[in-house]
Amino acid sequence: MAASTSRPLEYLEGLPGTTFFKLYQQPSTALAIFRRMLPDLAKCFVMALLYLKDPLPQADLELWVKAESRKQRDNALSILGRLHILSPSLTSEKARAYMVTNPFASSLRQALMGSADSLSFGVLSNTPDKYPVSINFLDDYARRQWEAVLGYMVGTSAFEQRGQRDGASLSEGVKQLLQAGHLVELRGRSVDITKDGFGFVLQDVNTQVWHILILYVQSAEHVGMDSVEVLSFLFLLSSLELGQSYEKKHLTPDQLRTLSGLADFGIVYQESPEATQFYPTRLATTLTSDSSALSNPVTGSLGPAGQPGSSGSGFIIIETNYRLYAYTSSPLQISLISLFTNLKYRFPNLVTGKITRQSVRRAIEMGITADQVISYLLTHAHPQMRKHNAGHSTSNTGSIPPSVLPPTVTDQIRLWQLERDRLRATAGFLFKDFTSFAEYQAPCQYAAEVGVLVWKSDRKRMFFVTRHEQVAAFLKNRK
Amino acid sequence: MNSVDASEHYELGVTDLAPSLLTIVIDTNPHAWAALEDSLPLSKAVANILVFINAHLACNYANEVAVVASHSQKATWLYPVPTPSDFDRDGDVSMNGANGAASAQMNKYRPFRVVEEQVTRHLKELMVSTSSDDLRGNTSTMLAGALTLALSHINRRTIAWAEEHGGADLEDAAEAGAGGGANRYSASNDDERLQSRILIVSVSGSSDSAHQYIPVMNSIFACQRLQIPIDVCKLSGDAVFLQQACDATRGVYMALSEPRGLLQYLMMAFLPDQRSRRHLVLPTREDVDFRAACFCHRKVVNIGYVCSICLSIFCEAPPGGVCLTCGTELDVGEYDVKPALLKRKKKKKKQVNGTSAAGTPLSTPTPGP
Repeated sequence: MAASTSRPLEYLEGLPGTTFFKLYQQPSTALAIFRRMLPDLAKCFVMALLYLKDPLPQADLELWVKAESRKQRDNALSILGRLHILSPSLTSEKARAYMVTNPFASSLRQALMGSADSLSFGVLSNTPDKYPVSINFLDDYARRQWEAVLGYMVGTSAFEQRGQRDGASLSEGVKQLLQAGHLVELRGRSVDITKDGFGFVLQDVNTQVWHILILYVQSAEHVGMDSVEVLSFLFLLSSLELGQSYEKKHLTPDQLRTLSGLADFGIVYQESPEATQFYPTRLATTLTSDSSALSNPVTGSLGPAGQPGSSGSGFIIIETNYRLYAYTSSPLQISLISLFTNLKYRFPNLVTGKITRQSVRRAIEMGITADQVISYLLTHAHPQMRKHNAGHSTSNTGSIPPSVLPPTVTDQIRLWQLERDRLRATAGFLFKDFTSFAEYQAPCQYAAEVGVLVWKSDRKRMFFVTRHEQVAAFLKNRK
Repeated sequence: MNSVDASEHYELGVTDLAPSLLTIVIDTNPHAWAALEDSLPLSKAVANILVFINAHLACNYANEVAVVASHSQKATWLYPVPTPSDFDRDGDVSMNGANGAASAQMNKYRPFRVVEEQVTRHLKELMVSTSSDDLRGNTSTMLAGALTLALSHINRRTIAWAEEHGGADLEDAAEAGAGGGANRYSASNDDERLQSRILIVSVSGSSDSAHQYIPVMNSIFACQRLQIPIDVCKLSGDAVFLQQACDATRGVYMALSEPRGLLQYLMMAFLPDQRSRRHLVLPTREDVDFRAACFCHRKVVNIGYVCSICLSIFCEAPPGGVCLTCGTELDVGEYDVKPALLKRKKKKKKQVNGTSAAGTPLSTPTPGP
């Protein structure tokens, strides 16, 4: 699963079942969760079961999936279970079976067939705007706001000047939210970015937006807003269309508050807080897409400022000798790159530097992980690199998928991290004191198949898993 | 330290999976639908297919869909419909007409509605424009034309998509000369290119479309080469060539015993894309009918004559022993004599086509110009 999906997924999993019940009342929410949170195989299961009258017996489902794909099947089923989408039930012959739970099933069917009068997908505004808003303007607005947020965090002095000049000012709400999420710390008058914050700025935009939105929902609970309403509004936003304006009058007060909060981040645009309509920007409409769909238009222009990426979004070229060339003049991007690179020269549209052991260790001491550095380089790799490396590695590497970055560089960055980083903590559960080896082995094997096994020791008859519910259920079924 | 070795790291590279493009060919042959009127009228079938399209679009933000109607006298686009003004680079269509009329109805995710409106509108236009003269004496469907339209659309989208995403495919596309055409599709990782597939919702029988044998087979081989699976959902009749199409392209073939359950069949068997199919056991056909149609009278034949030069198939020995396709003078020999009686050295032999039971695929002829 892509790393970017895990955060919202983890947050949603933590919600109580009743919240899900309320959330799934909205077709837009059901659709968004279906699209964004589920792996491919799980989508197939849901769609196959959606229009079945009777529950599908477990045995049939197992027959449908190839034997060698058991791991994927169990993973899909476990995610569906955790999101309360699929529930176990019994067929008329008392066989174990699966069915799609009800508010979700009926909402998804509504989303697909469009019945009932739910206004779940927003109401288009028919009154023409005095000043028509173009898609370019929205992209530009989103970019400026989002850069302002990131610039505030990184604290680029050059950037702050520019930010004020552009008129992208940050509201107090945004600053408080960033503090509440421990992304920045206020020390006296200066703003210091935290370890989490470094991780945050290096992620791709889609992941960042989700991170912020989850923080927003959490903080909404503290100020007495209904988190279900806020969440379902977020999912509604993700189903709107770019470049269209939508009516505000059908929204609840909580949702209106959310709307003005999101406007500060550039996720939606409204002319003034009193306007009767709002526009979703690309940050909102691509929430439920893969990160790649978003990256081009917005991050493309985030990079080399002023020249929106004509083909692809990247601007970084990295060579096997660890030299790095970044075609950008954005102070934000330059200060991000300088976090893990020794910069050497700076030209009007290009900075060059070298990734060294010192520079990477410096970054790691600040709390940045090697994976974050690599994924940053990967998301912003120049199209030329994608083309070149992907084209060449096909001929000789056989089954290994082509890598965009030079493998020697990525491996070395990881090795530099491992020099420091020898311990890793994983929260989880230890199973021990099995009476016989057979009794130990079966659940251990099951845990490995489900993908929750972290560590095991055959000699001590112990194993360690990240989540225990399924293994516990497995043990119970055996008895 | 052991965790640092190359193989593990490469897997991180590809996290974003390419979207899929589903091209649906709907056989709208009025004769065949009239026969189905009792169990599944066309309107109902189209409604089912629309839900299926929505389900496909719901699976991924970037998933695309295209719908072609294979009518009795022509094949035409239902969605997207190119208008002269915006026949732009990527063949996308502006949503003209969709804005004004139905903006009030917002109970539906907008992309779904746009597809639905266009498909129904154009299908209606197609039906209205069909005159009874067109139908008289014409009971077949333009499957070959529809397949060709679908293939050209897939090709265009694949190139456009690769350009947008700066994959490895640009160079290959440029180099793709006479022999390199398949590179664009088979090169690099399978997950990184646009995943295309074709679904044919077929109602016409095979005898009607035998005259299109050559163009249909050519499209099928193009799909096979480009690794585009052709799925066939057969509502009535039984088409020989479509079975071969599924077999050659590793698509799903299903002849529905109960057409009223169309939606459930579609959702279960035809929705999974190529990536998911790797994990699923899908319905295929064991006994594929490999019969071919002859080049002279377009008849489906079990046993025929094959030109030894160009491999054209004839149901009877060509007049004068001259191959109709390549013009080679063939020494037909005593072709009327039963094979068992021949004791001479078998020189110019008529080739016996594989029977369906044996299941040996024919080397299929490439027709001449």
